[in-house]
Amino acid sequence: MRKINRPHNRQVPRPPKILKQCSFCFCSARKSFAFLLILVFFLSFPSFVFSQEKNPSKYGGQLVLATTSDPRSFNPIVAQETSTTAITSHIFEGLTRTNGVTLKVEPHLAQSWDISPDGLLWTFHLRSGVVWSDGVSFSADDVVFTFNDLIYNEKIPTSARDAFTIDGKIFKVEKIDDLTVKFTLPFKFAPFLRGMSQEILPKHRLERIVQENKFNFALGIDSDLKDIVGTGPYQLTEYLPGQRIILKKNHLYWRKSLEGEQLPFIEKIIYMIVQSQDTLLLKFLDGEVDYCSLRGADYPLLKPEEKKKNFTIYDSGPDFGSNFIVFNQNDGINPKTKKMFVDPKKLSWFANREFRRAVAHAIDKKRIIDIVMNGLGYPQDSAESPSAEFFYNPKVIGYDYDLAKAREILEKSGFTDRNGDGIVEDKNGYRVEFNLYTNSGSTDRVQMAAMIRHDLENLGMKVNLVSIEFNDLVSRLVSTYDWDAVMIGLTGGIEPHFGKNVWASDGQLHVWYPRQEQPQSAWEKRVDDIFNQAVQELDEPKRKVLYDEWQLIVSRELPAIYTVFGANIFAVRNKFENLHPTSFGGAFHNLEEIFIKEEYR
Amino acid sequence: MLKYIFRRILISIPLLLGISFLTFVLIQVTPGNFFDSLKLNPQVSPETIARYEALYHLDKPLLQQYFYWLKNLIKLDFGYSFFYNCPVSSVISGRLFNTFILSLASLIVTWTIAIPLGIWAAVHRNRLTDKILSVFSFAGLSMPSFFLAMLLLFLASQWGGLPLGGMRSANFDDLSDGGKIIDLLAHLVIPTIVISLASIASLQRIMRGNMLECLRQQYVLTARAKGLPEHRVVYVHALRNAVNPLITIFGYHLFDLLSGAALIEIICSWPGLGAVMLTAVRAKDLYLVMASMMMGAVLLLLGNLLSDILLAWSDPRVRYD
Amino acid sequence: MTKPRKSLSQFQIALGHFKENRLAVVCFWILVIFYLSAIFADFLSPYSFSNEDRNYSYCPPMEIKLIDARHEKKSIHPYVLGVYMTFDEFHKRVYKTDSNQKYPLKFFVKGDAYKLLGLFPADRHLFGVDAPGRIHLWGADSRGRDLFSRILFGARISLSIGLIGVTISFFVGLLVGATAGYYGGRIDNILMRVCEMFMMVPGFYLMLALRAAFPANLSSVQIYLLIIVIFSFIGWASLARVIRGMSISLKEREYVLAAKAMGLSDLAIIVRHILPHTLSYSIVAVMLSIPGYILGESALSLLGLGIQDPFASWGNLLSDAMNIAAVKFAPWVLIPGALIFVTVMCFNVIGDCLRDCLDPLLKSEVRS
Repeated sequence: MRKINRPHNRQVPRPPKILKQCSFCFCSARKSFAFLLILVFFLSFPSFVFSQEKNPSKYGGQLVLATTSDPRSFNPIVAQETSTTAITSHIFEGLTRTNGVTLKVEPHLAQSWDISPDGLLWTFHLRSGVVWSDGVSFSADDVVFTFNDLIYNEKIPTSARDAFTIDGKIFKVEKIDDLTVKFTLPFKFAPFLRGMSQEILPKHRLERIVQENKFNFALGIDSDLKDIVGTGPYQLTEYLPGQRIILKKNHLYWRKSLEGEQLPFIEKIIYMIVQSQDTLLLKFLDGEVDYCSLRGADYPLLKPEEKKKNFTIYDSGPDFGSNFIVFNQNDGINPKTKKMFVDPKKLSWFANREFRRAVAHAIDKKRIIDIVMNGLGYPQDSAESPSAEFFYNPKVIGYDYDLAKAREILEKSGFTDRNGDGIVEDKNGYRVEFNLYTNSGSTDRVQMAAMIRHDLENLGMKVNLVSIEFNDLVSRLVSTYDWDAVMIGLTGGIEPHFGKNVWASDGQLHVWYPRQEQPQSAWEKRVDDIFNQAVQELDEPKRKVLYDEWQLIVSRELPAIYTVFGANIFAVRNKFENLHPTSFGGAFHNLEEIFIKEEYR
Repeated sequence: MLKYIFRRILISIPLLLGISFLTFVLIQVTPGNFFDSLKLNPQVSPETIARYEALYHLDKPLLQQYFYWLKNLIKLDFGYSFFYNCPVSSVISGRLFNTFILSLASLIVTWTIAIPLGIWAAVHRNRLTDKILSVFSFAGLSMPSFFLAMLLLFLASQWGGLPLGGMRSANFDDLSDGGKIIDLLAHLVIPTIVISLASIASLQRIMRGNMLECLRQQYVLTARAKGLPEHRVVYVHALRNAVNPLITIFGYHLFDLLSGAALIEIICSWPGLGAVMLTAVRAKDLYLVMASMMMGAVLLLLGNLLSDILLAWSDPRVRYD
Repeated sequence: MTKPRKSLSQFQIALGHFKENRLAVVCFWILVIFYLSAIFADFLSPYSFSNEDRNYSYCPPMEIKLIDARHEKKSIHPYVLGVYMTFDEFHKRVYKTDSNQKYPLKFFVKGDAYKLLGLFPADRHLFGVDAPGRIHLWGADSRGRDLFSRILFGARISLSIGLIGVTISFFVGLLVGATAGYYGGRIDNILMRVCEMFMMVPGFYLMLALRAAFPANLSSVQIYLLIIVIFSFIGWASLARVIRGMSISLKEREYVLAAKAMGLSDLAIIVRHILPHTLSYSIVAVMLSIPGYILGESALSLLGLGIQDPFASWGNLLSDAMNIAAVKFAPWVLIPGALIFVTVMCFNVIGDCLRDCLDPLLKSEVRS
């Protein structure tokens, strides 16, 4: 099906009046030569002066993307899943922004900021001339409203609140004048600037809704799209459930390019809702969609068609999410049954670091990459992804695939096969048998777990792969603690502190032993200290030293045994200019500056 | 008959209550709830999750939650969807039409093709057409539908002509009214074929089987002996009796189609209720699941009632005491 | 003088008709082969279902060569060539054969240990090659497991799930439906409402709920039985409704009224007079529902809730193949789909023929 591109306003430069006069001069040869010279000069003059305008305008055209599910809501405070933020990131903006290429924090709605010497007082100077898409001016009132009336509102459940609460204390947010806001922090908070990419919502439209206590269901997918007002480059114009979402350019957008051009260039963004990855691949090949992210297995399907179907495949490096194996080291007692959460004999294995080291050596990372990801992946040793760049520590302890070495380690710890049945027994004669849980929804993860299970069997451990529904798995990990080993995945990012609840010993996501009252071991105490120290350390290189140590400790103590990273590969149709794809930002992190080549409009 | 219908409707009410309670318990009895997905997010605190749960009354005991839901149901308030953060009625109404069209298309295609084919096969038993039809029927029955859907999409992408899933083209708004209808029909082709194929096959076999049975009855022999033209024998005498089990199936089909196409809707990107419900069940989006289940149950009861009425109308020997 | 013709029983008459239909007989023997292969899968397959060699990921089906021209004298014996895998520039797997590595095909080789019929320990397999060679008649899956072996083992699950489940729902559905139709009135009402309740119970929720309610470390055998129970739990109700519809009209037939007048017990009337006339529909319906079990198991595997790794069933083998990359580059993984197709067709043909054979009025037509 051919798309019909909407006609747009093209600004065609008008020739200056000088030309018209000269072209009608007919004189003698010398004069005519002189006039010819002048003519040539004036003809070329405009190309010097008006070169930018003569360049065909960059405006217009549409970008067609795909998303796997409907957005939950258009309310960025209440819903923060990727399906929602993919859309709301075009509509709402924060005071700062993370640059998709350099990964550094940049000013956005805030032009600049001052920090007091003790690091607790932050004064943001807001950009002037910014208006909401309904024409009302943006001001400090909106920032104060977003924090005090939305984020910190007890009646509104939002994870944004957790991001801006330290040790139970919230920040004080005050308006100084129309373009200045003051934040008073209870403690020094290094991730603060990065966290200030928090979306700001308009006070003038939402104040009354909040007072009537209706905010939780406001800005939902059933609302009038005209009510969704933001400062961002695009506005919602259409939403058909299950089918597509259309955003159109916000003509009042404040940002201009380096050459002074009003942004954004692209007129329309269409998100098609396609739930099946295979169908998306077909649509991409057919030309219906402009962008498609690839799994390793899809690569040989698309790569040969690159020239014919006019697109480019970008391999932007390792992904951020990781899959890892955790053993249950919880030695607590279930208050209801009065029995230990974990079978004591199993606990003695799982709590034994040598046991975990042996398992780490039994993970065939290269083969997992070959088989599950078609060779397009990276082995993982560290808790951070290499794509996190600054905080990534490459110098951690790695575990190569070596079954002989693994067996040796087990033997030294007393695990041998005494009765020749192929399964090792521990010092007390118990057969090593346990369950490896994973969630059935992710086929890649189940396949990885199945491969690891097979290898552990070669090692002499009887492992039962149990794949269960996601909710069941979460319930075990977070409430009942009824599990032996689990293979899960967590998405990562560039700011280590945002994963604190996994690494702090009292964190509820400290999977192997959540919510400890006291750190169970010396290394866990050290990690607690690192996180508490690093969050308050505003000097970046000093933070890096601390987080490097954390990654080294994790690789040594192996509370989590890492596997592989996928490669972040995506295909983009060759109709865009100014693309700077990266693993963190994807292909369109600088969407406002991207324009469509003329022949595709 | 009217008294019978009235009694049936009356009995349906405790039945619906029973089913709703059973489903409610089934969903809640499995561990966890919708907000478990938040629990694996390191940036969300337990207090925030508790707030979400309180907002939707998930912190109250099971029975209390059930009665709360029932009370709202009587007011025709189906509750809120956790996933979509908006009333369940808007989620359903946004997609009801899509599923309805697909089901209607499948129903029409299935019955208009299967019945005549079944009769034809029975009348021309064991001749070439019957054998060919048999092979096609068996093929249709044996093919896993999700696989067929994928195959058809793949072929459509190679040969062109048909759209690759979805319900409308990108330029839908620019088409004329006639163009819009054609666009919709074009998008309906692949999902309808996939959904109908198995039904056509099985229905055709059943029709054929029944017709054959009826054509061997004594009264058919008598009718032929009387000198009635063959088409009267087949269509007036045999057909009316052959149709008995089919009527019961028709009622059952009505229910089945509106709920059963989740996998195909997902593969063909058809924005219907099936796909939404599948995700809702797995994510434990409680009120959305309850609403769809109640809708399905009501449709089933109506379908069964309809088929019982039709049965009585078509077969004078049937009496309901 | 002609000998009086020995009177044949109903069953023998039916069998006679069946044998006349050549297609049905062929289908019958195909199914027999499938079932026997499933029972003796351990022996017939060169590898156990979990035997994997990751060097052979998505290995294509191997050719068995016969003529060995290595030596001056050409010898004829079956062998396979060694293969090795590389990734080409598109990250596609490319397998090249190495003609220097020849692995002769051997019979009654020693291989993975197993228990024949679950009782007798053994380790001989019908055919195989010496390590480090491998023989993949029908190719290998993503982890280098032999597809031929896994299909044979998978047959055990897929072929039996249909039979067992259908047997349960058949008997229950028939009895309930006939009883409801025959007695009518209140019994009919109650039974039909119960039927509707069972039909309305959403099978999928039930599956999820039961899976979660049972201890998570269910062995695959238990999951398998659970699947059967759930499917037949839902399945009998639709059959019962149709049988009830038929018996409502059947009970007014003259022979039924006559039997009643003769004083035959209700149960006897139902079993001997009503049910046989519903058989033609029931058998067709039962045969038509077997594929539903097999395909249903496949759909469950697609959602990750079916038979788990490392156990194989045709359903989970097919769902592993359900992506475009696999279909395009490793089409042999679709073989289980073809086998499901053939199995289901055989059941249908046989069911159809059985319906013809069991019809008591048929014999008059055939004889003439």
